Amino acid sequence: MICKILLTIWMAVIIVASFLYAGAAAGFPGETSRILFFHVPQAWIATLAFLISMIASAVYLAKRRVKADYLAQSAAELGFLFCVLATITGSVFAKATWGAFWNWDPRQTSIVILLMIYGAYFAIRSAVSDPDRRRVFAGVYSILAFVTVPFLVFVVPRITTSLHPENTMNPASPGMDPKTLKVFLGSLFAYTGLFVWMLRLKIRVLRIEGLRNLGIEEL
Amino acid sequence: MHQTKNGRWGTQARSSTYLNEAVAIWLRDLRSEFRTRYALNAILMFAVTTLIAVSFSIGSFRIEEAERPFLFSVLLWIILTFSALSGLARSFVKEEEAGTIDVLKLSARPQAVFLGKLFFNLTLLGALELIIVPSFILLMSYQINSPGFFIAIIISGGLGLGAGTTIIAAMIARASTRGALFSALSLPLLLPLMITCIKGCERAAIGMNNADWPEVKVAVAYFIIMITMSLLLFPLIWEE
Repeated sequence: MICKILLTIWMAVIIVASFLYAGAAAGFPGETSRILFFHVPQAWIATLAFLISMIASAVYLAKRRVKADYLAQSAAELGFLFCVLATITGSVFAKATWGAFWNWDPRQTSIVILLMIYGAYFAIRSAVSDPDRRRVFAGVYSILAFVTVPFLVFVVPRITTSLHPENTMNPASPGMDPKTLKVFLGSLFAYTGLFVWMLRLKIRVLRIEGLRNLGIEEL
Repeated sequence: MHQTKNGRWGTQARSSTYLNEAVAIWLRDLRSEFRTRYALNAILMFAVTTLIAVSFSIGSFRIEEAERPFLFSVLLWIILTFSALSGLARSFVKEEEAGTIDVLKLSARPQAVFLGKLFFNLTLLGALELIIVPSFILLMSYQINSPGFFIAIIISGGLGLGAGTTIIAAMIARASTRGALFSALSLPLLLPLMITCIKGCERAAIGMNNADWPEVKVAVAYFIIMITMSLLLFPLIWEE
């Protein structure tokens, strides 16, 4: 409980700080660079959730614990949500800086493929009726999809040039303003906290549904 | 020295290797395909009708000359991918429909089944490419300046296409909705390969002849990764 209240306050502080404390980065029109505090953590969560889902799937396939499958499914569903958010905020920024909401930049291509992979993952889950078989198939698909990700990250961006800002907005590069960096890391922390909270809620929902399907009344 | 199969058969010794079993399944599938020609007919008819529709509606000279290498390679790979997706699931679905899946489980090891089905799908893809690619080049007046590179990218792309779809076909055969789901599950996995092959065909058509053929390397790497993962994961699907 105390964690949730602290997280709420922390997120409110970050939202205010991202507009008032941190300055707008040079080289971007107007205040557009502030999208960094929201878009990048969303993309980070989408990737993290996908990674968690893949690892949990592998654990399920090895040990056949239903808990691992609940984690894989919850992480995939939340990852999909954050992936959609990152796509939308990204295309708003694209409109403001590149002139079009959508232009098949390599970053946009890879996030669309990530969305398609998530979509296919839910499709295989809903197409198999036997619960054990469904878990195995979803897990296998999740791992197969994960091994194609390096191609998207390393191959596609090298084939075509990207307009996506890398150096000016990359926290590791020395060009970032210390105030911006502070707020950015704070936002990253807040989003991760929010993700963990939502993930735990989602797992609990799945567990209760699972118990109800088994006909067990107690929680 | 005789191999035993994971102790499942107790003391019964088996001298056949994975490859022998895989080849036996491949030959059996080829024989049954020659009798019915179900998969080949479905794939080829799909490919030919799409090719005719594309050729009829676009023609060879409607597109500006500078745009041709790129647009023609896109069209070629769309025809190849979607034709392959229309028929490759057949290799596993037919076992499920004919009820022969349990016998197959008893008579061969999972990896051998996977390899046999993969060989069969690759044979189908080879036949598809052998017919469609020359027809496409003739119908569309597709000028290719580096034929060696072009052939290499077509072959390696076909290998990748077969490797990426065979394990999905095995899953589809056990699911309740088969037709549409196969494309929906395969395409996200195939997109990196498609992007690479389209780029490779474009470069082969223009005639940029890099000695090291980077797109072919990517497609072969994709093939090897997919085969390795499929061999690891297929027994889980097969025994479920």
